Parts: sequence; C-alpha cells; structure tokens
Amino acid sequence: MTKNTIKTASAKALTVLGLNKSFHLTTGRSVPAVRDFNLNLAPGELVTLLGPSGCGKTTVLRALAGLEELDEGEILLDGYSIANLPPHRRRMGFVFQNYALFPHMTVLENVAYSLRIRRSPDAEVRAKVASALLAVGLENLGPRLPGQLSGGQQQRVAVARALVMKPDLLLFDEPLSSLDTKLRVQVRAELRRLQKSLGTTTLYVTHDQDEAMSLSDRIAVMRAGKVEQVGTPEEIYARPASLFVAEFVGKVNALPGRVEGSSNGRSTVEILGHRIQVPTDRIPAAQVLVLVRPEAVRLCPPSADRPAGRVEETEYLGDRIEYRIRVGTTLIVAAQSALGGASRVAESDTVGLEFVEDAIHLLPFVGPA
Amino acid sequence: MAVALEGVTERRGGRGWTLVAFYPILALFLLVFVAYPMLDLFARAITVDGKPSFSVFARLLTDKFIWQVLWNTLLLGCTVAALGTILATIYAYAITRVAIFGKGVWHFFAVLPTISPPILMALGLILLYGRRGLVTNGLLGIQSTALYGFWGLVFAQLISYFPFAYLMMLHLFRGLDASIEEVAGTMGANAWRVFTTVTLPLLVPGLAGSALLMFGYSFADLGNPLLLGGDFPVMSSQIYLAIIGMYDVPQGAALSIILLVPAVLMFVAHKHLSARTAFATVGAKASSRHRMIRHRPAQIAALVFVGGITLLIFLQYATVFAGATTQLFGINYTLTIKHFSDVLTKSRHVLVDTLMLGVIASAVAVVVGLLLAYFVARTRMPGRNALDFLANLPLAIPGTVIGLSFALAFNHFPLMLTGTAAVIIVAFVVRSLPYGIRSGVAALDQLHRSLDEASTTMGSTSGQTLWRILVPLVRPALLAGMIFSFTRSVTTLSAVIFIVSPHWSLVTPTILSQMDRGDVGQAAALSVLVVLVVLLVIHGVPRLFGRDWREAQ
Repeated sequence: MTKNTIKTASAKALTVLGLNKSFHLTTGRSVPAVRDFNLNLAPGELVTLLGPSGCGKTTVLRALAGLEELDEGEILLDGYSIANLPPHRRRMGFVFQNYALFPHMTVLENVAYSLRIRRSPDAEVRAKVASALLAVGLENLGPRLPGQLSGGQQQRVAVARALVMKPDLLLFDEPLSSLDTKLRVQVRAELRRLQKSLGTTTLYVTHDQDEAMSLSDRIAVMRAGKVEQVGTPEEIYARPASLFVAEFVGKVNALPGRVEGSSNGRSTVEILGHRIQVPTDRIPAAQVLVLVRPEAVRLCPPSADRPAGRVEETEYLGDRIEYRIRVGTTLIVAAQSALGGASRVAESDTVGLEFVEDAIHLLPFVGPA
Repeated sequence: MAVALEGVTERRGGRGWTLVAFYPILALFLLVFVAYPMLDLFARAITVDGKPSFSVFARLLTDKFIWQVLWNTLLLGCTVAALGTILATIYAYAITRVAIFGKGVWHFFAVLPTISPPILMALGLILLYGRRGLVTNGLLGIQSTALYGFWGLVFAQLISYFPFAYLMMLHLFRGLDASIEEVAGTMGANAWRVFTTVTLPLLVPGLAGSALLMFGYSFADLGNPLLLGGDFPVMSSQIYLAIIGMYDVPQGAALSIILLVPAVLMFVAHKHLSARTAFATVGAKASSRHRMIRHRPAQIAALVFVGGITLLIFLQYATVFAGATTQLFGINYTLTIKHFSDVLTKSRHVLVDTLMLGVIASAVAVVVGLLLAYFVARTRMPGRNALDFLANLPLAIPGTVIGLSFALAFNHFPLMLTGTAAVIIVAFVVRSLPYGIRSGVAALDQLHRSLDEASTTMGSTSGQTLWRILVPLVRPALLAGMIFSFTRSVTTLSAVIFIVSPHWSLVTPTILSQMDRGDVGQAAALSVLVVLVVLLVIHGVPRLFGRDWREAQ
C-alpha cells in the first residue's frame, strides 16, 4: 500500500453546522437521532466519530453523503453548501460497513463504476483503476468476482472503489468491524498510511476506541445524538470532558473529592480520607470527581499517609494484571505490567495506593454517576 | 474419526423410529397419487383398442391444427410472461422504491387477484368489454367481439396472474441490500442509472423466475381460454373439448402429454435457475432500509402506473359485484339480493363442500409437506431425493393434466374413487404439496438443528420433539402454507373440472356452468362470496392463531 500514484486534486475543508435529524416511527412518534451537531474538519484531516451504537454517528455520515435527508443544518465543503444536493451530485467516497460491493461485477468493474458512470474515456478508466488497485495491493485480483475474495480483500476493493473517483471527502462507516482482530489492526495501519499519502479529508465512524485512537488526528465522541467532546486522542483519553467520555475510551476510577485549596498551579484535593496534590490550571468546582486511570494507580506497602485497601480480585490479562482493591466502600481498579512478577500482590493482601499525580484529571461533581 | 461418525449415525437411526414409520406411507402416497396417474395417462395415450400404438400421437403430430394450437399456447404464454414480468417489475419498483401515498391500497388491489378464481376475471371482462359490455357497448356504443381471442386472453391472464409475479418481485426488491444501491448513488449514479446498472442486473435471475412462473400459469389456465378464447384455441381448452365435447379419451390423453413436454422443460429450467439464483449478498449484514425516490416526475409516473392498474382491477371487482346485485347486468340495473339468496339456497352445498374439502386438503398438504421436508432435510432415508422430486412434480404439471389423469386413473380397478370427495381432496393435496414442502422447509429453517438435538439429549423421542418443540416454533410458517394451499384449492378450475360429480361439486365449475347457462347474476354472486370467504380466512384465521404468521410469509 505504500506506493501509489493517486493524487487528490486538493484537500477540502468540511464544516457541519447545526445538524438535526429525527426518525419518524410508524407509530407516529419521532426519535431524534442527531441533535445540534457541529463539526469542522481541516483539509486533509482524519476525524473519527466515536460512540456507542445508536448514538447517531452513522446517521451523520449518511447525511454527509446525502443518504439521509436533514431536518435542519448546513454542510459546507470549502465554504460551498452541499446540503441540498442528491448523493450522486456530491463527491463522497463512501465505504460501507458491509462493503456493498456489486456482486455481479468483477473487481475491475466495481472499481471502474464511478468512472464509467461519468463516462470517462476507456484509457483513463484503465489507468485510474490500475493505480487504485495498486494502492490497495490488489493489482492481480481484477478479474475476480467479490464473492471469490476474502473479507480483507473485499474491504480493500471497497476502499479502492471509493478512492478512484478522487472524492472530496472519504467517509468510512465502521469498515473494519467484520474483520478479525489481527487483520483489523493491520488494515487500519494501512488505511492511515493511505489516507495520509492521499491527503483526502476523511470522516471515520467507529465504536472501537482503539481504532479511533490509532487512526485519528482528532476524535469526536458522540452520545445520544450529540457531540460530547472533540479533541486529539490524547486529550480525549487524558483529559475527558465528561465521565461518559472517560469511561467510553477506557477503564477509569471516578472518585468523589473535595478541593481544599490551590497554589502555584497545584491543588490539594481530598479523596478517600487523604490529601493529594493535583496539577491543575483551573479548578472546576469545590466538589469534584477525580478521574484516575488504572495504570496511574501504583501499589505500595501500606502506610499511614496514603489510602490502603484489601485486594479483592486479581485478573491476569497477559500484558497486565488488574487488581480490584476495596478501600472502605469504594472499589479501585489498578493495573500493572504482568512481566517481571517480583512485585506480585496476592488476593486478600492489604496494599497501599499511590496515584500518579500528573495523570489525574478533575471533573465537576455531578452527583452519583 | 470413524468412531465419531458411527456414533452420529447410530444416534440418528436410534431416535428417528417414531417418525420413520411414516416414511413408507408417504412414499406409497406419492407413488399412487403422483406417479401412477401420470403413467396411466401416458398408457392411455399410447393404447388404441387395447393394443399399444402410437397412432394417436402420429395423427395429432401430423395435424396442422394441433401445431397451430401448440403455437398459440406458446405465443400466449410468452406474451403473458414478458408483459406480466415487466408490469410486475414496474409495480414492485414503484411500491418499494418510490415515495408515493396509498401504498396499502395499491398493494391490496395488486394481490386481490391472487386469491380470486381466475374465472372471475373472465366474467368481469365480459361484463365490461364484451359484446354487450358496459364500456364497449354501453359507453362507447360499439358491438365488438375484439375481447374474444388473443388480446382478450392476454388481458385476462395478465390481470389474473401478474399479481403472482408482482409478489415475487416485491420480495426480491425488498430483499436487495440497500447499501449496494446507495453506494452506486454516492459514486455518481442517479436513480435511473442505479436501477439499470445495479438493481436490474441483480434481479435477472428473479426476472427469469417470474417470467417462467407467468408462463406456467398461462399454460395451465383453463377458465379464460374457455370463456374468452373465441377463435384462438389453446392446448388446455382443446383437452377440455376432446374429453367433454368429443369424449375422445386417447386424444385428450395424448394432447395432455404433448402439453406436458414444454411444461416440464420450464420446470427443469426454473429449478436450474433458482439453484444459482441471486448473487447472495457479499459480505456481512445487509441493510434493507431502502431510500425512497422523492423526484416529483418519478413520483407522478409511479402513481399514474399503479393507480391505472389498480383502477383496472378495481373495475373488475366492482363490475362483478354490480353483476351480483342487479337484475341482469347490461340490461336491467334494478338492485336485487335475488342472486345472493339464490346462491345461498341452491348452491349453498357447493360453497360448503368447497370450503370443507379445501380446509381438509390444506391441512393434509401441510402436514405431509412438513414430514417430507423433515425427511429430505434432516434424515438420510433412502430414496428421499426421488420423493422430493415426485412431490414437487405437480408444480410442473398443468392443472388440466392433473385433473384429467385423476379422472382417468381412479375410474377403474384397483382404485375406484370417481365421484367421491376423496379424489377431490387428493387432487387438492397433490397440487398443494410443493407449497406444503416449501412451507415445511421454511418452518424447519426456523429451527437450529441444535434445538432438536438439545431436546433429544434431554430424553424425548423424535415424536415428542416434533410435537413439543418443533410444532410451536414452526406454526407461523405452516399456517402461511396452509392458507396459501387453501386459497389455491378453492380458486382452481382446471384441476377439478374433470373430477367433480353431481354429489361433490365445487365452486369454480359451478360458476362456469352458470355462465354457460347465461346465469350471470348467480355466477357473479357466487364469485363475490368465494372472494369474501377467502379474504375472511386469510385475515381471520391468523388472528385466531396469533399474529406472528405475517413474519413467516
């Protein structure tokens, strides 16, 4: 996939403003699918819509392609509105979850489809199809029918077919979800390289946080039709805007705490009956939720100046061990590298807990979540 | 490995014994009621004065008239198949892909003919467009016999049988993966090009299947050719005339055999086709939520099309209803309930008999179909494929031929059934068996093998498994199969016209004789009653047995 000769004319910027969309059920009720959705994509950027199923991410993608009518909203491509164009007048390279290959056409015919529809000259079609297939590493499978390909190969045909028309925007709808785990990791790296070298602005929908983290320039986390947070993968993971985001992208300990004072960009926060120092530029509230990722919890010998608890459960996961530790009424999850084994802790041991203070993130306390 | 396999077969043989008892009975049933009548018919066609002879065939095959009739039959079949498939495709496309209002109404009228006796269509057409028809004579003031002949038959058969093709296409259009059409849209194809480059090519096997279906129906149709054929004779009406008119059994039998040849060829072609039907969608999870076209001209065109056809069909039923409620349609339009009261007194036993025999036959067909499906799909009984073929054969045999073969084969030793209800029930069952098997297979598909294995490991016999676990799960599919089989039995004319007797008469031959007598009012009233009863059964029975049947359809 490294060598490729396709070049996009120029990357486009996408602006989505105030998108609203409801589905009308046969019972007469209408269910909002997307509510007041706003998003900007810089030219050449890859942004992931991440969220649980039913959060409206696919609806946004389909609306961009013109496959869903909007109730309200504006879609601008380099400042020009495309919101009222039918799908065939937009230039969107859409890769479906099930690939949607034409089963009655060969790989060549599938990839050539958009060019044939636009009545491009034969020589041009041949050259473009060949280079698109080369880009995804399928140059030898042209005469095959989709039914004769493996899942991974079908996925690449779908990508080549979307690339060949030099789309203004590439739209991916969970394109890796029907591949097995190993292949998924490999293909997503290839996709990322391909997208970078082409420089096509891309919106990518997934519910898999690993996929989102590894692929994206930025991630937009969605919940119940709304954008919860937009940011780089690191911002999303380390400084989530809400408990929902924090929990969606990984395991997290959320502990109620009270801010007791701050100075020099550090705050003193009381949790579990002990004081810790947290680096913050601003304090969200007096009552806070202290978010600590399991890998930021260190186990050490119990002592009076730090919280201590009893190990209730250990779980060996290969690359790490997870401990569930009971501190009073709270259960804390800690994770440690499983290699080396010297500092192994056994179930029902009593251990002291130390939080990596730089990795702590504070949210305003909003009642029991 | 060998040990494991042995274990499997052992268990299979061990637990199947309660059901296996039915296997020889089923085999015998099919041999006696499918194979034997056909062989008997063939024997009669090559027997003259008790000696084997091909002289009847020789005479027929050198007769220019017979070739003309055969040509007529094929021409009519091809025309109806082509036009019907086109109409059905457009109609189904309009319903499944275009945003138009009133889809419930358009759909209802498009499927109404599938539950009506085709003879009702001929009746409606005569009343509307015949020599003294309301439209031709009453409105336009012309006295024309244009209805009688090729184009009248095409019209009548289209309106009677295109609904079957429509249902088939509807199913295919709905089943097509929506994302395949959508992706074509995102690649620059407008609705028309999506249809021509993606939808249509994917439907080619379905289109061919629908054409063969229509061809088969046209072939087997007897009512329309008898009433509207005029100077355009076709095979089924010639067989009828040979038997009823001239009492020439060898000629009727030979004509039937000649008709069988293209019919069986069609059947084989259809089987081959459906074996490789549909490029099963590639990849995972197909989405079936299709985008509706909201292009104003397309919407208007679709509405005009479905509205126009609906109007034609509606006119048929309205006319027959008017015929049933007026003194003498075309001459005296005084309202009356005389025809209904006549039918409910004089022909009540016909109606009751038809319904009763239909119910019995459909129940038998579904049970036998389920057992056959079970033996074919879930056991390794010897000869099960041959039985499957035999049971599906009636799909290929035109009703006229089945009816005639029954009338001839069961009119002498060893099985003397003529004049009994049994011969009618068996004819119904045999004709319904292919659908019985289909619903049986659909029913078994509802069940994972693991389910009946689980039940077996918990210690139940296969009979108990069938009754406790399988039957409740498969009931929706079976109910659908039963309703379909009932409808088909009650509305058929060709299959029963040779086997009804004064003691056991049926609705459709009665309507035919009423029309022959000129008793239009009673014929219309009886037709209306049949349609009402079938509608009642289709909508009432599932309500009695629970609503989940719709999913099975």
